[in-house]
Amino acid sequence: MSDERFDLTVSTTCGYCGVGCRLEAHARGGKIASISPALDGPANEGHTCLKGRFAHQFSRSRERLTAPLIREGSGFRLASWEEATNRIVAELTRIKAAHGPDAIAGLASSRATNEDCYAMARLIRAAIGTNNLDNCSRVCHSPTSFALRRSFGLSGATGSFTDFDYADAAILIGANPTEGHPVVGARIKQATLRGLRLVTIDPRRIELADYGVLHLSPRPGTNAAVMLGLTHVVRRDGLIDRAFIDERTEGYEALEELLEAYAPDAVEEITGIPAADLEAAAHIYAEAENACISWGLGVTEHKYGSEVVQLICNLALMTGKVGRVGSALLPLRGQNNVQGSSDMGALPDTYTAYRRVDDEEVAQSFERAWGVPLSRNKGFTIPQMFDAAVDGRLKAMWIFGEDVAQTDPNTAHVVHALESLEFLVCQDIFETETTRYADVILPASAFLEKAGTFTNAERRFQLVAPAIDPPGSAKTDFEILTMMSRALGHDMGWASPAECMDEIAALTPEYAGVSHERIGRRGLQWPVAADGTDSPVLYEREFSLPGGRGRFAALPYKAPGDSADDEFPIILITGRRLQHYNAGTMTRRTNNLELFGEDWLEIHPDDAERLWIKSGDKVSVRSRVGRIETVARVTDRIEPGHVFTAFHFPEVRTNLLIGSSADVNTSCPEYKVVAVDVRPVPEMAARTPALATH
Amino acid sequence: MKVTIDGHDVEVEAGATVLEAVRAAGGWVPTLCFDERQAPFGACRVCLVGAAGARGPIPACTTPCRDGLEIDTADERARRVAKAVVELVLSELPVPPAPHTELATVARSLGVEDVRWPGATHRVDHDERHPYLAFQHELCISCGRCVRACDEVQGAFALTATGRGFTANVTAGLDAGFRDSTCVSCGACADTCPTDAITEITLL
Repeated sequence: MSDERFDLTVSTTCGYCGVGCRLEAHARGGKIASISPALDGPANEGHTCLKGRFAHQFSRSRERLTAPLIREGSGFRLASWEEATNRIVAELTRIKAAHGPDAIAGLASSRATNEDCYAMARLIRAAIGTNNLDNCSRVCHSPTSFALRRSFGLSGATGSFTDFDYADAAILIGANPTEGHPVVGARIKQATLRGLRLVTIDPRRIELADYGVLHLSPRPGTNAAVMLGLTHVVRRDGLIDRAFIDERTEGYEALEELLEAYAPDAVEEITGIPAADLEAAAHIYAEAENACISWGLGVTEHKYGSEVVQLICNLALMTGKVGRVGSALLPLRGQNNVQGSSDMGALPDTYTAYRRVDDEEVAQSFERAWGVPLSRNKGFTIPQMFDAAVDGRLKAMWIFGEDVAQTDPNTAHVVHALESLEFLVCQDIFETETTRYADVILPASAFLEKAGTFTNAERRFQLVAPAIDPPGSAKTDFEILTMMSRALGHDMGWASPAECMDEIAALTPEYAGVSHERIGRRGLQWPVAADGTDSPVLYEREFSLPGGRGRFAALPYKAPGDSADDEFPIILITGRRLQHYNAGTMTRRTNNLELFGEDWLEIHPDDAERLWIKSGDKVSVRSRVGRIETVARVTDRIEPGHVFTAFHFPEVRTNLLIGSSADVNTSCPEYKVVAVDVRPVPEMAARTPALATH
Repeated sequence: MKVTIDGHDVEVEAGATVLEAVRAAGGWVPTLCFDERQAPFGACRVCLVGAAGARGPIPACTTPCRDGLEIDTADERARRVAKAVVELVLSELPVPPAPHTELATVARSLGVEDVRWPGATHRVDHDERHPYLAFQHELCISCGRCVRACDEVQGAFALTATGRGFTANVTAGLDAGFRDSTCVSCGACADTCPTDAITEITLL
């Protein structure tokens, strides 16, 4: 749409969730006037949600950071870029000399572009000299990445969201896409209206449960038993694809042995799901000619989240429902670039495309390209960084586009870690809970102000283009990172994000054919061959594992890290609201706040009656590690014994309640099972919860 | 199969509509109630074209092609009817549609300048209770695109056609407004509206 109301219209990719809607951003007078969906967007096909379309006012918020800030006493003062740069170089050089490079760590951001994340990785690895590097996918979909690599070989969805349009049935587990990923939610809903037989599995009765044929409501933390039960029924009732198992997989026999213990009655004991419902669900999935499985953080953010994803893969492998259109495994990745930030190697143990830092050949290829020696030792993950900061091994951090003091678990511990650091650089678009502890704050840019690429949940590289300039003297993240690296003595030598992508492609066989020019309007789904051929469907002929065979995982159900007891008799589940996004840094600075201004705790009518709580009452929620106050809302969309709230509001600070239990393989925190005590607060509640003392 | 558009042959898949064939041939017919994200509706009669052997003009958006079909997009009678339809639509509006709207674009393309039928126009009725979405009910032409976007694209089922004849219009919920209906604020209605009867507050 070109019309007289706008000065400029730019096609770009949405910076909210991992769906990757293509947008037309319309600017007037250097500000975003409107955003409309691109008709040819592969994932959104002319649609988008209230976040992508309307929640752009944050970009012109008066609270945007417009100049570098340097700590002075208990506050901050404005500083020039030169002063901020000198300060950073001096401090990092001093700490590196005194304690070695491994006393420094960096966090890249899953909201930033691939090029930003790669630049951050190069800054930490080459300019600093350590592998202490991670990104926020650690706390959301790292279990998905781990499990898909184990079971199939590659860390990404096996198909595209359009697979829902070609599927006869689908299982949706631990996800609430009509709120968390609205455009995919709308796609699934439309598919059900045309006859898709949808099975929803979630402790809450999510909106899509009303459109499905069956809803299973397991006790939180028992997903493994649910998947093993479904697998048991498929095998027992002869619904397996024998030829697929024989020709394309390995390890089925070990799984068969394990399955004996997961008959529907036994699974009902563990999960609370009626045996007959479990059997029906297994038949709906296995008897469909084509079926998809989709999951979200309700699967991954558990003590055994990575194992559950492998158990999901088992179900697809034994029924041969992978590797073709209409039969795909589609994890709903959280942030816009949570796929890409990890693909780009912003992880403590891998370079681009998940190649290990101790792989000599790979490490040498990067040493040749960057002209510096590189560490072969794995670095710290995010939780390890905080532990190391508290015990004094880590002295400095560079946190880029991430509000760990609001979004990471066990907030009191995170704050203790940030306070223990000698030097903290934050690079962000707003002051956040985390920047309170910074020594230098660098003013960065929002997605509407930068160029580069995001990789969506379908493994699709898509172009990001600036429609407006960063405010004041704020700079794009790419400029900041390349400038700081140069100041630290390591010139990355790129004139533009496109040149950075050329280097990524040259050093990464899986992205060999990727370039900004080739990505164009339609995007490229990796792996991308040198001639530019991309891969909408993975594993059509073989899996990307030695021998080409998919691997069954024989993993038993194990109890979650926390459970209800006399003192904490209710299980808290956390999640998202349609109107808000993650820490709310962006959406809380838009009129979305008018649509959803204050969070609440969802509680079942039976529990509410027992506890003398009614809708609108202030309630105290206490866990083993912290306490918050919020407002109750009574609803039968949640089961008795469970409560639900989101984590978008710093006033609520839900993550004070979350302990240190985490996924056994990836240390992704167990946000989804927290035993709590809920009770009414008789007097006026304090609005700002105090941090626990350490 | 093969169809002929304004003398040019074009190959189309079975089930393709005449409008799809015209677009495949690089041609253009004006449309008002059509949106490629929605199932064809056939309500506005602005996409009329001539078809060899037909008794009169046919709507391009809902007519399936048959092999050997010959279409004339410049058919004089079809253009005359379409122009009259747009003129009648405009005659009900108290103000002309804004230049960027599809209705204004279609009117320009058909050469509709003055409206020959003065008389009653829709009563001005604005609803700006939602932070992003506004109704300007007087601009509604009952094309049904917003209702279909809400049903077929988003699946919120918040919008409903209301009233009959001259008072036909659109409403969210049972006159509840966007906020208190099942609306999820996706904005698909504003995106498809060809007249700004539903539009973004920030662009008013």
